[in-house]
Amino acid sequence: MRKCIAGIIVLMSMIFTLGAFAQGKFPTKPIKIIVPWNAGGGTDAVARALARSGEKYLGVPVVVENKPGGSGAVGLAEVVQAAPDGYTLAILPVELGFMDKTGVYPFGFKDFTPIMNLNTDPAALTVKSGKFKSVADFVAYAKANPGKLKVGHSGTGLLWHLAAAVFAKEAGISLTYVPFDGAAPAIAALIGNQIDAVTVSGAEVQAQVKAGELTMLACMGDKRLANFPEIPTLMELGYNVNVSTFRGIGGPKGLPADRVKILHDAFKKMMEEPDFVQTLAKMGLGIDYRSTADYKKLADDTAATLAPILTELGLLRNK
Amino acid sequence: MVQYLLNGFGHLIQTGSILALFIGVFLGIIIGALPGLTATMGIALLIPFTYGMDPSYALSLMVGIFAGGIYGGSISAILLKTPGTPAAGATVLDGYPLAQKGQAGKAVAVSTIASALGGLIGALILTFLAPQIAKIAVLFGPPEYVLLGIYGLSMISYVAGKSMAKGIFMGLLGILISTIGIDPISGFPRFTFGQLNLLNGLSLLPVLIGLFAAAQAFEGIEKYNEPQAQQAKINRIGISGKEFLRILPHIIKSAFIGTFVGAVPGTGTDIAAFLSYGEAKRSSKNGAEFGTGVIEGVAAPESGNNACVNGAMIPMFTLGIPGEAATAVMLGGLMLLGLQPGPLLFKDNPQVIYTVFASTITSNLLILVLGLLGARFFAKVLQLPTKLITTMIFVLAIIGSYAMRNNAFDVGVTIIAGFLGYILTKADYPVPPLLLGLILGPLVESNLGRTVIISEGNYFIFFTRPLCWLFWVLILYTVISNITKSKRASRQLDQTKR
Repeated sequence: MRKCIAGIIVLMSMIFTLGAFAQGKFPTKPIKIIVPWNAGGGTDAVARALARSGEKYLGVPVVVENKPGGSGAVGLAEVVQAAPDGYTLAILPVELGFMDKTGVYPFGFKDFTPIMNLNTDPAALTVKSGKFKSVADFVAYAKANPGKLKVGHSGTGLLWHLAAAVFAKEAGISLTYVPFDGAAPAIAALIGNQIDAVTVSGAEVQAQVKAGELTMLACMGDKRLANFPEIPTLMELGYNVNVSTFRGIGGPKGLPADRVKILHDAFKKMMEEPDFVQTLAKMGLGIDYRSTADYKKLADDTAATLAPILTELGLLRNK
Repeated sequence: MVQYLLNGFGHLIQTGSILALFIGVFLGIIIGALPGLTATMGIALLIPFTYGMDPSYALSLMVGIFAGGIYGGSISAILLKTPGTPAAGATVLDGYPLAQKGQAGKAVAVSTIASALGGLIGALILTFLAPQIAKIAVLFGPPEYVLLGIYGLSMISYVAGKSMAKGIFMGLLGILISTIGIDPISGFPRFTFGQLNLLNGLSLLPVLIGLFAAAQAFEGIEKYNEPQAQQAKINRIGISGKEFLRILPHIIKSAFIGTFVGAVPGTGTDIAAFLSYGEAKRSSKNGAEFGTGVIEGVAAPESGNNACVNGAMIPMFTLGIPGEAATAVMLGGLMLLGLQPGPLLFKDNPQVIYTVFASTITSNLLILVLGLLGARFFAKVLQLPTKLITTMIFVLAIIGSYAMRNNAFDVGVTIIAGFLGYILTKADYPVPPLLLGLILGPLVESNLGRTVIISEGNYFIFFTRPLCWLFWVLILYTVISNITKSKRASRQLDQTKR
């Protein structure tokens, strides 16, 4: 009897497997998401929160693997070289849109298959409290004293640097950019009055702004920040500035469209899990679902906005 | 405030968070002692488990792992010449020779006592003076960082060994190696030869493990088939009252250095340890014997790095700005717990803050107990046959360098650094100046660039800020006192010759 049951089970599982092969079932083994940064950072938190519900919607475990180094290039390179079968994916940073042009990444967005966008965080123009009351104030001072205002950012050629430059160009002012080794030291320098402003994300300055130490003059997204509904966007103030960092998910170039769809549909549901929503809210990160096509458009638009800025800042190395 | 702190202790015991703290310190020591697993990584690994945990529990665990990890790194540094974390790099310099003299137990005991006391002083400063220290820390601008770095580099004159020329050469070599990677100001990659793994420069830990552990393993191969010499005996564990008084001033001084280095964002436990070591060597009466296995040389860096653990939490809690890598990860963990570190945390959640402060104080007592209990067992490692130890060191060096980033490139770095370390030691070129250059080079370079941008090209900015003057005095004092010392030494040498 027992043998019989075992035989039936074996037979049935064979039929199922065969059926799976016949349909080209995907996925049948664990999916790996490479985070090209250290464990414990913002990107890592997004990936892990997403992966937790992976088994529920994809039927296979979704594993997060940290592969830091080379400003993200080491982990991303692994994905570029991986087989485009949908089992090796990565959280793609906004920098993929321009760091190939500045000679840092040997690859760009074109070397990946986008799946969808997960999160966007706009830059925010933040100053020491009491120094400037409004963006108009800031711009007026900058016009009267060209190059005197020093704006800190998280590293030359990174998005927050370009955000400051996009704003300066649009406002017709000249600023001096001070690169720091990440957003945190730039914020510390602003608190200590070493510099005049920072253009890092709203989430990064949140604690200080809530405490009244720093003042956020404007955010640079297309809508106001959820945590700061009273702060206007630069668009509202009449400056055509829209610079946000975004984290999306993608795989190597040449990922078959049917697999992209399967992954997209599952990830979309995973993004709606309360656990994912809460985790991002706690980290102060903005959830921003965009479909495959919209994600691609966002990446292309950003690259188009930033291209002239790179030339202006003298950062263009690879044409 | 004292009331709050007492409540914090009460909360720590009532909620059973003290158990979490104990587990944290215990795990931390193991994580720290295993090369390649750093305190930072320990905290990062822990975070997924803290979801939905009571914040006091989760924070006690994190504090425990951080403090335990930085201390634990010294154990493998002393016994196997393999720094478990970059913070333990300076501990190797005297800890390993001391253990080789048959005093492994003593070396571990000194490291334990110094870590606990230094950490305790740091924790008390964190508890009572955090907001005040944070106010001073933000006054620290790019020019001050430059001079802090130069002050650190001036210590090369103390750790250069017999030949100043060789010492300076090695210091410059260290600075040169530190320039590999993306230029901090222009953003353009330098000396990377198209190698993506070099974009952010060489990671410190694989270099440290290579220069110390792999080099030691290569040297061990020379004696691999020699008959077993005298077994390293474990002498008495612990230290005498007289020895305690000898290291106490260095522990206290290093604790202050460490706390402050931790409190200013951008500098971490490795810099704290090396500055403490250099300062102890400068001010100690038997400074000349440093590097041959003196207890002060173990006590100073260990006190400095554990004090730095607490110092690094000052800007994290008061400003919401992490002081270095481990606190950056902790900050993320706090936010996932629904806490927003920063000025408001003190107002909104004093209970949590003071429970953390109570944890930091208690964690050091746990280090003391666990460390002293464990010293005897740790030291037993050295009773193994030398052949086995040599092999073990090499295996640990390879695994450790790989484990840090799951990256085979780092293994290559370790092996090359090992060959370099082996040859340099044979040729009598000192390694410590190389490390100072490697660690402080980026600090000086990036901040010099920033200073020049901020001052609009005016170098007089280094003389117009009061905090800068403090560093000028320190730098001049370090250099001049070394010149007079060496003159006195050569005069004595002349007299003995006559």
